[in-house]
Amino acid sequence: MSQASESAPTSSPAAPGSASQRTRRSTILAFVAANQWVLILLLTIGLGIFTGLVNDRFFNPRNIISILEQSSVLGLVAAGATILIISGNFDISVGAIIGLAAVVMAIMVRAGYPEELAMLAGMAVAITCSIVNATLARLFQAPTFIVSLATAGIFTGIALALTEGIIQLVPNNFTFFSSTRLLGGNLPLIFLISLLGYVAVGFLLRFTRMGRRTYAIGDNPRAAFLAGIDVSRTTVLLFAINGILIGVAAIMLISRIGSALPSTGAGLELRAIGAVVIGGVPITGGRGGVVGTFFGVLLLGVISNMLNMLRINPFLQEIAFGGLIVLAIGISWLRTRVGSDR
Amino acid sequence: MIAQALGTGPEAQAAGHSGPVLSLEHISKTYPGTRALVDVSFDLAAGEVHCLVGENGAGKSTLMKILAGVVQPDQGAIVLRGEAHRNLTPRSALQLGVSTIYQESDIVTSLTVADNVFLGQEPVRAVDVVDANQQRRITQAIIEDLGVDLDPDKLGARLSPAQRQLTMIVRALRFSPDVLILDEPTSSLGQAETEHLLSLVRRLAERGIGIIYISHYLDEVLRVGDRITVLKDGQHVATLPAAGATAEGLVHLMVGRDASAFFVKESVPIGEVLMRVEDYSGPGVPEPATFEVRRGEVLGIGGLVGAGRTELLELLFGVRKPRSGTIHLDGRDSRPRSPREAVAAGLSLVTEDRARSGLFPDRTVRENLATAWNELRGAVVRGERTLADGIVDRLGIVTPSIEQEVKRLSGGNQQKVLIGRWLAVDAQVYMFDEPTKGVDIGAKHDIYGFIAELLKAGRAVVIVSSDLPELLSISDRIAIMRHGRIISTVAAAEATEQSLMKEFLGVTGE
Repeated sequence: MSQASESAPTSSPAAPGSASQRTRRSTILAFVAANQWVLILLLTIGLGIFTGLVNDRFFNPRNIISILEQSSVLGLVAAGATILIISGNFDISVGAIIGLAAVVMAIMVRAGYPEELAMLAGMAVAITCSIVNATLARLFQAPTFIVSLATAGIFTGIALALTEGIIQLVPNNFTFFSSTRLLGGNLPLIFLISLLGYVAVGFLLRFTRMGRRTYAIGDNPRAAFLAGIDVSRTTVLLFAINGILIGVAAIMLISRIGSALPSTGAGLELRAIGAVVIGGVPITGGRGGVVGTFFGVLLLGVISNMLNMLRINPFLQEIAFGGLIVLAIGISWLRTRVGSDR
Repeated sequence: MIAQALGTGPEAQAAGHSGPVLSLEHISKTYPGTRALVDVSFDLAAGEVHCLVGENGAGKSTLMKILAGVVQPDQGAIVLRGEAHRNLTPRSALQLGVSTIYQESDIVTSLTVADNVFLGQEPVRAVDVVDANQQRRITQAIIEDLGVDLDPDKLGARLSPAQRQLTMIVRALRFSPDVLILDEPTSSLGQAETEHLLSLVRRLAERGIGIIYISHYLDEVLRVGDRITVLKDGQHVATLPAAGATAEGLVHLMVGRDASAFFVKESVPIGEVLMRVEDYSGPGVPEPATFEVRRGEVLGIGGLVGAGRTELLELLFGVRKPRSGTIHLDGRDSRPRSPREAVAAGLSLVTEDRARSGLFPDRTVRENLATAWNELRGAVVRGERTLADGIVDRLGIVTPSIEQEVKRLSGGNQQKVLIGRWLAVDAQVYMFDEPTKGVDIGAKHDIYGFIAELLKAGRAVVIVSSDLPELLSISDRIAIMRHGRIISTVAAAEATEQSLMKEFLGVTGE
């Protein structure tokens, strides 16, 4: 993200005369290759214009707001996934953790506890589960991917035991987030919260020591250790930060749908990882940023809305999602070819 | 002979024509921003060892990659046994009799020597079952033919660096090459192993194989080569017979400066004891080690590969967990259990393997320089640019910008970035593990300069080096290690290469 956009202009030598045309083209090409989000943004705008031409309801402000609103929960989860993937980690149990947190919150308000206390409990569940994942992985020197694959089953199982498989309806609780509109009823609060999540992650990655450690560990964990970085402690902290983000996501989700099941949030982790990859973070970590993730999530939201608007079979959404990830992989392959000939 | 053992040798080898087996004619190659090779011509006769020398970035690697078919030249032709080729692919190069052994020789650690030798061209019995017996038989035949000691059934993971090197040579010979390219073949070998390799290279040449030998070590080049070609900034400088050439003369051609200037150590007054290590032991260092190093002093650590030199540095730096001992440094006692604690205690370590354990290749020069420095400061990063600009200037790091990804820098500049990371935190004791390995002569000179500056500023330096002249000229004292323990400590001024080597090997008497 940032570092790439800064380096793009300096890395191209200013050639005089007839070569300048070619140089400018290669500069643009290099910039686009280093900033995948530009392509994603162009694709999003293109799809938007196309959809708007076929069905003018697309450009209705209500529809735009609804796209933003529907992208909010995924946005929070994807912002967290951006940090983890850059650091070379994965949390496959995010969906299960969100389900467990949502179930705990719903059971608590149904038992008469105040909403605030339930939300705190939900956050605590999300942060604890995330820390458990990181701690187990560091303790056994195992990849977080496989550890969280194991704990996902455990978390879902606990949620099933708590609910005995019965849906927990809470239609009149937590409505504050999903019903509040700011700026004269235009800006959904839930989207603003999601935006704050991106900004916080962007700040962390770009301006803080924790951010530097994130990139260092993702790029070369042994070098990070030898440079005096406490890799275990950093990993646990990064998962705790992810826990905060998915805890908030769980609150937003229950606020929107008004009920909770152990399967609430299922599949979110994969969509989030997809959005991060579409945004340009390599799956091997060490580089990339949250701006790409923002546009990746937005693109997914626009596509899902577009398929509705064009009355296209909703099954196509899954195909489009898969196709986009393939496209993203293709772009990053292209990037390694354009970016580093040496 | 090898061809007979395999029964697949090209007839051309037997034909024995007199012209060069290989020649490169007016090869040019340009990368965006650099001219890697400019109109370079080069030829190789059968049975000749032709050495390629030059600083990093002189074009040796590019030339080698063009021959191996990995890189295509922009201009020029490759003539093999009288036949001109515009472009080679890795596959066609092999088929035409050009085998290449890269510096970072890749063997698969989970396969045996014989499996590695045949990797990708396994002889197959029914369907897809590998004929392991045939693999073993042929591998054994080549090994015996070479007169070397290697077990075809040994697992890759259990091989020493020298045995890995041998495995790659056996693999290359299986293709009955006319031309064998060796890139820095001795960089991971000890003294005795290097001797073996050099004599093996001579024997291969005697069998009529043309050998291109690329190395930074000029003494090796002078001993093993028939002719030496010097490249500089992508251009051909000279091709001369090895007989009559001198290291100084070659260095002069490579850089246009005198070699003698490089190895003169500035004398720095030696002060009080800065660090005293007492009874330090742990994994890799079974016997408790005790030594001290003073302000302004360089303590060299000598020994053969595997003597425990790197292990000792890693133990002091907390990379390995110490079992016993204390470090008294600047009035404080400690036993760091992680690099983080070691940095806090005033230590730093420039590791040997830059790519694997030093740098963050995808990150910028700025971030690579500031990594350790940031750890000692606040939660929000500030002043990285000023720091990075300062170090880039001070160390003369050649980079278009501090925002350049560090993987795009040359080896010497990468090493400077790694050293710069530790200069930024102002440690008391600087430990270097093979600081000039794989680094060109210009950068080497610079690195000696940084070390001299550290000494003048009252810091202490501990250096592990396998380069004996370097160890002798840079150190004040040399601690000699064997089998994980410090055998003795000698004054560098009183030691010679021969006396050190005897100590390393444990040879007593004269």
